[in-house]
Amino acid sequence: MAETPAPLAAVQVEALVVMKIIKHCSQTFPSTATGALVGMDVDGSLEITNTFPFPVVEVPAESHFDNAAPNPAAAAPRAKANAAYSAEYIRMLREVNTDANNVGWYTSANMGNFVNMNVIENQFYYQSQMNERTVALVHDVSRSAQGSLSLRAFRLSAKFMAAFKENKFTSEDLQKSDMRHPDIFEELPVKLHNSHLITSFIHQLQCPTSNASTELPSSLAALESSPFNKTSTLTPNLDNLSLSIDPFLEKNCDLLLDSIETHNTEVNNYQYYQRVLGREQQKINAWKQKRAQENATRATLNQPLLPEDEWQRLFKLPAEPSRLESMLNTRQVNQYASQVDNFVSSSTGKMFAIKGNLLPNETSN
Amino acid sequence: MAEDSFLHLARPLGPVSVGTAPTTAPLNVVIQPQAIFSVLDHSLRRNADQERVIGTLLGTRSEDGSEVEVRSAFAVGHSEAEDQVEVDMEYHKQMLALHLKANPREVLVGWYATASELNTFSALIQNFYSGQGDGTWPHPAVHLTVSTEAGKDLETRAYISAPVGVTAERAADSAAFIPVPYELRYAEADKSGLESIANAKDAEDRSATITSDIDSLERAVEEVISMIDRVSRYVESVIDEETPASTAMGQFLLNALALAPKVEPADIERDFNNHIQDVLVVSYLANTVRTQMELSTRLATAQLTLGGGEGAATGEGQRNQRGGKGNNQGGRRQERTEEARA
Repeated sequence: MAETPAPLAAVQVEALVVMKIIKHCSQTFPSTATGALVGMDVDGSLEITNTFPFPVVEVPAESHFDNAAPNPAAAAPRAKANAAYSAEYIRMLREVNTDANNVGWYTSANMGNFVNMNVIENQFYYQSQMNERTVALVHDVSRSAQGSLSLRAFRLSAKFMAAFKENKFTSEDLQKSDMRHPDIFEELPVKLHNSHLITSFIHQLQCPTSNASTELPSSLAALESSPFNKTSTLTPNLDNLSLSIDPFLEKNCDLLLDSIETHNTEVNNYQYYQRVLGREQQKINAWKQKRAQENATRATLNQPLLPEDEWQRLFKLPAEPSRLESMLNTRQVNQYASQVDNFVSSSTGKMFAIKGNLLPNETSN
Repeated sequence: MAEDSFLHLARPLGPVSVGTAPTTAPLNVVIQPQAIFSVLDHSLRRNADQERVIGTLLGTRSEDGSEVEVRSAFAVGHSEAEDQVEVDMEYHKQMLALHLKANPREVLVGWYATASELNTFSALIQNFYSGQGDGTWPHPAVHLTVSTEAGKDLETRAYISAPVGVTAERAADSAAFIPVPYELRYAEADKSGLESIANAKDAEDRSATITSDIDSLERAVEEVISMIDRVSRYVESVIDEETPASTAMGQFLLNALALAPKVEPADIERDFNNHIQDVLVVSYLANTVRTQMELSTRLATAQLTLGGGEGAATGEGQRNQRGGKGNNQGGRRQERTEEARA
């Protein structure tokens, strides 16, 4: 972090990588898919040039948090078996002149629900064990189905890394470090990049029939069966004009409710902790008073005093639950909310446009 | 590219031992963009002295074997000299095993080369890929050529092969390549990705940023407007008798126009209001939840700002915290009922 010359400023993703990630993620949708990224770090811009999926291995997640979801695919990037797998794969890639540096991993998400323990632990593993300059690419399958590609790059902030290493997530620690949920991730801008060959390939795809005749068709049937009607290569993508807003909002509400549920559990945990803490504290105070009285009487009787700090042995204060989960949850809710905002802004536009079109007389005023 | 027309000829079959007989059914090849992109990437990364590079194609076969879908590809090192070719078969096998671990549903379907030329070496490699044991036997191996010669169009061709040979010794390095039709097909999910990639095609640095929802909406609207413009220009020029009229085209356009729904203004008004309210309520609720959560976490960790003695601050902070939590829960319950209604 401090010793590296230029911090990572941007992520540049090759077209090949984009397509491979989309393929893998949509194939396994709705369960999570993960894979490794290889590429090169060029002056603070991380160029991701190839990728390969992780096999799903059934291994117990080695988590020092009990509540990590038992999802083998989501935990794959930090599984031991996969470290060997990716090392092997990268060695193979090196033989055919591919950039053979491990630069991170990718995961699929559904409606932005990627802020969870698994992602954090994976990225922590990558940033601490493999290579500090690694990123996590998050491809949101269901948002991409809405019409525009959703691919984002994240890293854990240095502050969070330090805290996570020591597992310092009690409220006292958080006060000290002044860490809040926006401090968990750093988002890096993602840029797509095409090679020359792919550029020319795409140009060719879009005007493949330069020499075909453009005579007018003789009948409706002829028109409908003409090659122009049939070629599906790179038709303009108008999915984002679609008006089906309900499924999206429904799903988002569901996810929000889930988050509220989590939040409730966390709050209850915390309240329970405080109740127990209060009770213990009371007991300790009572004990201390008793001891003080006893000592007072002993002093008058000229007897040796009893030690006053014995309570530390007798009573055990409960451990404070980690605030990490609720912090992540807040971050996740933030993510949902901004997602809804984005969606609302475009869908209200669409709806007003439709109203304006279907009721032209009302908008003419 | 794909405009070539094809005539399917049953390929001659070589001498076959009894057992599974290879089919002669027509074969259609479907290529996914991922595979092509891999091939192009490999072509870029070839050694300077190599004219072409080869690799393995993986994918799926339909049940009756009449359609092969090429889904991915990986590179295999090889070297060609005047009179011999060396393919790193060990590498191919290891890589195949690695690939199948992560993609258990894909099978070996063939191989690619990045030059259009078919020569003796091609036949030799083809025979390896279509052979028994490690090859695709009894299905035909697909050979895909993607020419990547500078200054020329990229040309993709797909072949399958049939064994020919004057004598048994020559059979190993000869094969009759039969062109088969292929099509480039991509899934729904690939669409948005391809579109973003295509955005970069006219940029000087060949790169593009990922657009936000609202930007891509804008682009889509602009695109539709330009298409409508084009059609109306055409219609106008027909009306002005500058371009020849076509009844088929007219019918087509009329059909398209007839798709406009006929609805009562009152219905529209009602639906519109209902929907916009739903949308806005959800947005409002989402943001309320966000604020509440933010508030709750802030309160949990905000004791230091209260000032005063340490003991007092802690006590107060804890009380505050509890108060804040209580409010939160109340607020949340309300929200939940509202959301349920929405």
